[in-house]
Amino acid sequence: MWQSRPGVLGWVMTTDHKRIGLLYFWTTLVLFAAGGAEALIMRTQLIQPNQHLVGPATYDELFTMHGVTMIFFFIIPMTTGAFGNYLLPLMIGARDMAFPRLNALSYWVFLGSGIFVYTSLFIGQAPNAGWFDYLPLANAKYDPGHAIDFYCLGIIFNGISSSLTAGNFIVTILKLRAPGMSFNRMPLFCFAFLAASFGLLIALPSLTADSIFLFLDRNVGTHFFDVAKGGSVLLWQHLFWIFGHPEVYILIVPAFGIATEIIPAFTQRRVVAFPLVAVAELLVVFIGFGVWAHHMFATGMPTVTVVFFAAATGVVVIPSTIQVFAWCMTFVTGQAQFKTPLLFIAGFIFMFVAGGLTGIMFLAVPFDQQVTDTYFVIAHFHYIIFGAAVFPIFGGLYFWFPKVTGKLYFELPGQISFWIIFIGTNLLFFPMHIVGLEGMPRRQYTYPGGLGWGPDNLAETIGSYITTVGIVVLLVNLVVSWFRGAPAGPDPWHGATLEWTIPSPPPEYNFAVIPKVSSAYANWDYEDRAEDRRKLAEGIMVLEQGHEQPVSSPVDGWWAEIVEMPHDSPWPIVLALALAIVFILLLLHLWLGFCFGLAGVVLALLGWHGEEPEEAVA
Amino acid sequence: MTDYVAGGIAERSVPRGSGVGFWGMAMVVASEVTLFGTFIGTYYYLRFTNAHWPPPGTPEPRVVVPLILAGVLATTSLPLQLAARAARRAHLWAARFFLCWALTVQCGYLVYEIHDYVAQLHRSAPQDNAYSSIYYTLLGADHAHVALGILLVVWLLWKLLRGLTTYRLNAIRVVAFYWHAVNLLTLIVIGVLLSATL
Repeated sequence: MWQSRPGVLGWVMTTDHKRIGLLYFWTTLVLFAAGGAEALIMRTQLIQPNQHLVGPATYDELFTMHGVTMIFFFIIPMTTGAFGNYLLPLMIGARDMAFPRLNALSYWVFLGSGIFVYTSLFIGQAPNAGWFDYLPLANAKYDPGHAIDFYCLGIIFNGISSSLTAGNFIVTILKLRAPGMSFNRMPLFCFAFLAASFGLLIALPSLTADSIFLFLDRNVGTHFFDVAKGGSVLLWQHLFWIFGHPEVYILIVPAFGIATEIIPAFTQRRVVAFPLVAVAELLVVFIGFGVWAHHMFATGMPTVTVVFFAAATGVVVIPSTIQVFAWCMTFVTGQAQFKTPLLFIAGFIFMFVAGGLTGIMFLAVPFDQQVTDTYFVIAHFHYIIFGAAVFPIFGGLYFWFPKVTGKLYFELPGQISFWIIFIGTNLLFFPMHIVGLEGMPRRQYTYPGGLGWGPDNLAETIGSYITTVGIVVLLVNLVVSWFRGAPAGPDPWHGATLEWTIPSPPPEYNFAVIPKVSSAYANWDYEDRAEDRRKLAEGIMVLEQGHEQPVSSPVDGWWAEIVEMPHDSPWPIVLALALAIVFILLLLHLWLGFCFGLAGVVLALLGWHGEEPEEAVA
Repeated sequence: MTDYVAGGIAERSVPRGSGVGFWGMAMVVASEVTLFGTFIGTYYYLRFTNAHWPPPGTPEPRVVVPLILAGVLATTSLPLQLAARAARRAHLWAARFFLCWALTVQCGYLVYEIHDYVAQLHRSAPQDNAYSSIYYTLLGADHAHVALGILLVVWLLWKLLRGLTTYRLNAIRVVAFYWHAVNLLTLIVIGVLLSATL
């Protein structure tokens, strides 16, 4: 069928979702290392009282960059960008994403935004008001210079990438499923990514608007957040958390999706209560839009508002619990083989339940007000974000490693890496509950002795280094396995979904034969797979002449039409470059240049759309 | 080529056609609607945290002219829809005519609105107070979307100079959909801004 262009140019111009997924993976790994290094410096600083490894200003930059990096430049792009891009089309039996060039643009914009934000660190202007950037601390009076402008513009720039990715995923899932894959035959992984994509698409504009307002306040002199002129500092918090709380689910729901693929493979049974889990994945994001103000219980909101949001937060527990019970019952009723991926999922369930239980405690409003801005909050959300989002990412890395590389990883080092990371993270984050309850405030660059916080902080710092060692073992294992691992074959786990029906690594076009689908566990439908093999043997492929893709009806998955997909293109990277120039000009207040920059964007778009499919002209 | 059957449908009976562009635009519109929803939510949040809206000394928005102009702009949905219909029937010249009709009205609207925007800036500025900040931001964002719509229609006309293809037919449908959304947003934005006079 078709081949990718060889060499570096092939990667620069690629529109292949698998290559783009790998580009996302390597880039987010580098940014994860940066965010991790920032965390390690902070933990080293806090190893004992009265340390001065870094000063307060540097510490402010470190915790801000750590949060921004891990949220916007690691977990979202790792789950949606790397896992989603690589796996989603494979799972639905598609040959590409719905908008391949847009997919490439998402990556290049993401890379540009990462470089943009990290440039601030190297020129000593890194964002320094926390990842949620509260006002009035972040206004031009209290935080002059470019630090917060980098934050605002970087967030907007990055948001473009995430929005494009989200829209692309939604259309891909709704329209590019293999003919016959009706909604109820779609893998749970895809439900999770559909939910997360809707969440991203609808939540991000709120943060974008917030960042626009702040940029205008700081640079044009508007008064959105200036109380003296009729503005409101709480407006920032509302808009931020209207994005920020759905964001939590946007981070963890893809991880739920990863779990729902690993569990069936290593228990060799279908996930218990499939329809309930599918609905719960969607509901958790939907309800997540109605709980944002629980981040603001300490701001003095009216009692009725506080009670409403506390109750709404309680409701989120229901779909989350449905999933936890379903996963556990699948373990219990299946034949669980605790290989490395499943170990990480078991660890994830433990951490998620622990983090969820402390989350429920925040519904008690007086308790919430007591522990606001203490390390108890840090402990809670790291159990959720590291435990519930990053653990499945690690499990997923091991699980799909054979598919991506064609090699098996080494099992024993894999299990060792799990135990090191599991022990390390619990040692790192559990004592934070204790020091939080003892009143240790977050975001303090050091603390005095004699308050009893020293031993717990020492344990946390040791935990952070143990976790780092575990992650290094994991990565070294995967790198060595890549070179020396045994051949994996197409289906080493007897996995449930369609990616395990094709060679490892998959060919450019994914599926020579568009697969027949009768259930959500398509690889276990042996008659269908035998029919696919028969067609392949007889040369009965489909659309083997061009870069074409079947398009299905959104609900029933009926084959509706055939579309010609674009080939490799230079325009995504050109457009991303033009956008980067626009943001740099904005940062430098070169307004006339900004207008020329916009013209450059328009020209790049014209070039993009100059490429048309070859067809007859009427 | 041997016929391929999936889901009971043979490959040769499947049309090559409209693609997923329309769905892509639906995603853009969903995102844009949410962005404007946030702007409008901000407007009312600020309104209900201020005792006076607009604040004393800030002129109230004019009512009649913006309403008429928004109404005139809304009528451009008709020629764009007619252009899509003509293109579907392969009536190239009719499609061009309807696009030119829409473009003329759109440009007239935008030129007047920009002139009016600049004139208003002489009476009050976004730097005056929170009311003016959100007023000019919301109105400016809407004008930017109208300008983008105009660029898209110009691009369509340029494409149609070289004839009509399925790709270009899809482009007309997609741009028409975007334009209907912009018209709706404009009516809502004008309604929100004029609500200060109530």
